[in-house]
Amino acid sequence: MTQFAQNVVLGLLLGGVYALVASGLTLIFGVMKVINIAHGAFLVLASFISYTLWSALGIDPLLGILVTSPIIFAAGWLTYKVAVEPIRTAPMTSTVLLTFGLALVLEGAMGAIWGNNSTSITPSYAEESFSVAGLFLPKVDVYGLLVAIVVLGALALILTKTWLGRAIRAAAVNSTGAELVGIKVSSVAALVFALGIGAAGAGGAIIGVLYPFVPGSHYLWIARLLAIVVLGGMGSLNGAVLGAVLFGLAETLTAAYISPSWATAVPYLVVFAVLLIRPQGLLGSHLRQDSVTA
Amino acid sequence: MTATVSSTPSKPSKQAVPTLRHVPPGWIGRIIAALATAAVLAYPLVSDDTYYQNMIIISLVFAIGASGLNIITGFTGYVSLGQSAFIGLGGYTIGVLATKFDTVSPWLWVPVAGLVAAAVAVGLGLVSLRSRGPAFVIITVAFLFLMQQVAVNWEDVTGGTAGLLLPLPTWGIDVINWPFYYALVAILAVQLLMTWWIRRSKFGMGLIAIREDETKAATIGINLPVHKVAAFVASSVFVGMAGAVYGYYLTFIDPLGMFAILISVQIILTLLVGGKATLWGPVLGAFLIEPLNETVNNSLGTLGGGNARLFLFGGLLMAVVVFLPNGILPSLAAFLFRRSREGKAGLVGARIETGGSLESLRKHVTVTEARATDTTPLLAVTGLRKHFGGIKAVDGCSFTVPRGSITGLIGPNGSGKSTVFNLIDNTIAADAGTIVFDGEHIEKVPAWGRAHRGIGRTYQITRLFAEMTVLENVVAAQRSFSLTQLGRPAITGKEAAEASEFLAFVGMHKYRDQKARALSYGQQKMVELAQVLMLDPKLIMLDEPAGGINPVLIERMGQMIRELNSYGKTFLIVEHNMPFMLDLCDPIHVLARGATMASGTPDEIRTDPAVIDAYLGDDFTSTRQDVH
Amino acid sequence: MNTFGRSRLRALAAASVLALGLAGCGTDSAGPDPIKIGASLPLTGQFSQPGQAALRGYQTWEAMTNESGGLLGRPVKLIYKDDASQQNIIVADYNALISRDKVDLLVGSYSSLLNLPASAIAERNRMLFVEPAGGSPKMFKRGFRYLFYSQQATADKTGLAYANWVAGLPANIRPRTAAYPTIDDPFAAPSVEAIREVLEKAGVTTVYSETYAPDTRNFDTITNAMKAANPDLVVHGASFEDGVGMIRSMLRAGFRPHWLYQTTAPSLGQQYADAIGPANTEGVVFAISHTPEANTPGNAEFVAKYQEMFGEPPPEDAADGFAAGQMIAAAVKGVGRIDQTALADWLRNHTVSTVLGDLSWDDDGRPEGEFLIGQWINGEARIILPKQYATAEQPVLGWQPMGAKS
Repeated sequence: MTQFAQNVVLGLLLGGVYALVASGLTLIFGVMKVINIAHGAFLVLASFISYTLWSALGIDPLLGILVTSPIIFAAGWLTYKVAVEPIRTAPMTSTVLLTFGLALVLEGAMGAIWGNNSTSITPSYAEESFSVAGLFLPKVDVYGLLVAIVVLGALALILTKTWLGRAIRAAAVNSTGAELVGIKVSSVAALVFALGIGAAGAGGAIIGVLYPFVPGSHYLWIARLLAIVVLGGMGSLNGAVLGAVLFGLAETLTAAYISPSWATAVPYLVVFAVLLIRPQGLLGSHLRQDSVTA
Repeated sequence: MTATVSSTPSKPSKQAVPTLRHVPPGWIGRIIAALATAAVLAYPLVSDDTYYQNMIIISLVFAIGASGLNIITGFTGYVSLGQSAFIGLGGYTIGVLATKFDTVSPWLWVPVAGLVAAAVAVGLGLVSLRSRGPAFVIITVAFLFLMQQVAVNWEDVTGGTAGLLLPLPTWGIDVINWPFYYALVAILAVQLLMTWWIRRSKFGMGLIAIREDETKAATIGINLPVHKVAAFVASSVFVGMAGAVYGYYLTFIDPLGMFAILISVQIILTLLVGGKATLWGPVLGAFLIEPLNETVNNSLGTLGGGNARLFLFGGLLMAVVVFLPNGILPSLAAFLFRRSREGKAGLVGARIETGGSLESLRKHVTVTEARATDTTPLLAVTGLRKHFGGIKAVDGCSFTVPRGSITGLIGPNGSGKSTVFNLIDNTIAADAGTIVFDGEHIEKVPAWGRAHRGIGRTYQITRLFAEMTVLENVVAAQRSFSLTQLGRPAITGKEAAEASEFLAFVGMHKYRDQKARALSYGQQKMVELAQVLMLDPKLIMLDEPAGGINPVLIERMGQMIRELNSYGKTFLIVEHNMPFMLDLCDPIHVLARGATMASGTPDEIRTDPAVIDAYLGDDFTSTRQDVH
Repeated sequence: MNTFGRSRLRALAAASVLALGLAGCGTDSAGPDPIKIGASLPLTGQFSQPGQAALRGYQTWEAMTNESGGLLGRPVKLIYKDDASQQNIIVADYNALISRDKVDLLVGSYSSLLNLPASAIAERNRMLFVEPAGGSPKMFKRGFRYLFYSQQATADKTGLAYANWVAGLPANIRPRTAAYPTIDDPFAAPSVEAIREVLEKAGVTTVYSETYAPDTRNFDTITNAMKAANPDLVVHGASFEDGVGMIRSMLRAGFRPHWLYQTTAPSLGQQYADAIGPANTEGVVFAISHTPEANTPGNAEFVAKYQEMFGEPPPEDAADGFAAGQMIAAAVKGVGRIDQTALADWLRNHTVSTVLGDLSWDDDGRPEGEFLIGQWINGEARIILPKQYATAEQPVLGWQPMGAKS
């Protein structure tokens, strides 16, 4: 029984970290209807930047989030202005291809700057765990969960309690209407994109401690993130959290009770199953089909 | 070039002195294609440089992959990032079968690989029928990675990560690459032939309609699942065969190499660069991208290698999406077309003609004489309900449409009129209620089935297939469905004649060859009507036919409706233009808050206090002059 | 398209032509009629680390060979390409080396996944193909006549010396139970499988045996399961990242099996130590084809030259590359000319002294030697088996991690 409990705990902790990283992706989709395939690449970029800060300047990666996140935020803003805004009116599949191209460019850049060798960030607590009631909780996972709670909480507050949040939600639902009531949609969009990427930046620092990474790791991450966001419902922050937790559990329990070799197939099976059975995900909303958009 | 004013939108005309500029682009293209084909065919015979032979072989594989993708992405509009899965499937088919039956020549398995790929494509097609746009892209990526996982885990059959080995070819070293080379050329040729045939067939027209507006396509009788699954199969069968040849060429088949996402990326990049929905675009793209790929890898010294290739692919992909979304060939064609049209006046300013009479249409239109004994309504809806989350758009709506009548549906904005239309023709599915059409319950019948049974409708905001010409738009309507019909030419002479007459009827004959996106709103409305007539429906539903067009046209519209009605066509019309409605329709149903609140003759409705209160207003008077 | 768009189209066209034009400019070869040796290696991508090491091994060999007068009186020149760890690129690369660069000799790439298709090209063209890596047993089941491997044994035999040693330990010391987690790849899995067979025969009970996907990152679940099964010995089939990941996961979970054997990861020197913490390496056993201290023919000169050229001691993959060069040189000297078939036959019938020891091959090009078994002792990787090459007097009995590094 404790082994089951241990697996569940591991799955939940994993879900916490996933939630942090997936939140940005679902936010970007919800507001801008952009599926950002480059999200995983920004995540890995954040890991590399955290690594450099840690290995060159000795800054602890978790504290370093205060530095890494703003850098990634700025990168996100720049990316939006340069690459995404020009094709704002193009069909959604164009942005999918565009962000895919961006992911490849980022991968190449990371490879050129940091090389393709496996990198990991190893502060002292990377191999330690908290021991609670006979179960072990790896310290990094717990810290990651705490950071996730803080960041997600902040995001939720922004979206629901501030004027900016209202502007974001208005722009998401009806950008023309939002313009008409005085919301500068292009700035809001850039801000949202940057926010989403910034959240990924925070996640990247934690993930760099949890797992070794190479520039090509972004594929694994975007597969997971897409599965989580699709499962939870694209555009729903709550859905992303729920999806992330369920996903972490699914991965862990599959590895424990079915076979580790199938554990990595879980994301793709999830995506398939959800998009077929319930395309809007657990907490997502159905788009009206009678609207005249391709 | 002299400026000529022409009123007919014909193909670029030859001037008196034919210069290169005035040779139709089609012929230049054909000559180039012929020369290139001859060069490729002859190359191994004149040179035994295996480096270039290899480059051409790999380029051919990508050309086939992109050509296949062209059918599902270029024609049907579904962007797939999973195309390399079919190459992998082909490779694995030949690998598995060749290792199991090692006495038989592996070439035998190449067609089998095509069948395997097609079978999986059917599965994928069926499974993704409900997904569109970005959800579909994600599904194809998931599909690709899932195939990889299956290859890794199904060790008994696939050898797992260690992969499968094929025997080394036993033929002479001088001709070592020839069988692979020519096999791929042959496969590409057949693929191109199939693409060409599809474009010219009704099947291809249906695919393009689906690409332009899938929901609309369903309502004019195009059977979506059959078209989409068939497109999938067409996009995969030759790609699977190419995959088998490629696997044999490599002699080694493993999950990472066969199901690589970068190959899918290169395929889609090839298609985008060359030009979607063109015949030669994928081939051009393949022979540009693959050599560029290899050059970047090795000729740029320290700047080359894997990272440079990522920059190349990623950067090109981004650049193409932003700057050249149509690809090289279509952009070139558009450029040349524009040059040839310089100085010519467009047709757009011309007036809509007054149109022909219906007499000539009698032979195209089923004439139903009203039978006195047949008093059952043509359409009866009861208790229709549709909720969007908390919004009750339609809530218990019931009414009937008598045979041979022109029935009106009026009501305030938001009363659910358009939604009712959408429920009747299955643009959206009802939550509850029954719909009985011509004595048959059609709640479970899909949109195209309803179109085949005789329901046709126009849209409040017109929906035409933007990239098709006006003629093609009209001919796209399909009255019935059969598999053999798909194979017929896209526009037969008979259909063209018929469509032309309908277009003449609505006054749009001069615009026959214009692309639909060039038309104005009023013009589009007319074309949509002709499109609906092509279906030869029993019930014609018009959604605000008088909205947004000038008074003369409104009058014409009324005349056309009456004429068609005299041939037994039943109408159901939604409108806000009260004089138009009260003059034309009988009976009239009034909708408010999603339910029918009144029904009756125009006079009854006009004087019904509840209706006046809810909709018409106290000072409403209907006179012929009162037109806004 | 307006004029702006048109000029963009022109720019794109010009760029493409320029790029294609670059294809025409090849690299020029200098010097009086050198012997050209061609290789494609993964210098970027998944296998970039060992690929770069192998390249350095080749370059060290090139330098040392030219310093001592070259081969058959001619200097040797290495012509190399980057296949970015991609199969379709390596196929193009070897075709280019053969038909465009017209190399006299070929030498191989890194990893079975790349060498399998590459060796087929060489075989098709009837050229000698010595590969420094690619020990999957499948490589040698194709009846190739030109293929040779420049390590001591194929993948399935790498750990046998260790397995036999464990099997031969006295019963009170020998582990009673063992777990076999392995990555699903053609190198690690056969190695672990072979070890397991030997140990099971010797009475060591298998309490856990699972394969995980190559892109697995999270090992906590696997560690948890192993912890519950409580094995004395863990034989972990790993490459690099997962080797590190598993150890860190085990430390987090407080799972310290008494004995630990890992493939590949521990053989990567300081990088491994840094990744898991030098204090945690104590006692980890692994198989390796070479260490800088090994007492093998010509090793001292090789290590010195490598240190001089690259500023650090050579990793195993570099030594394997160097050995490949040594094999080619020996065959060319033995035959007296560059005749691919004669060279292949010569190798089949002779033993070559290399920095990995004496190598010899069977009819299929499979090497018939024995791998070295190494162990991390006091923060350094030493050889413990076979005894004649050992650099440590006594193996450490068991894994003794000191906890996390500070």
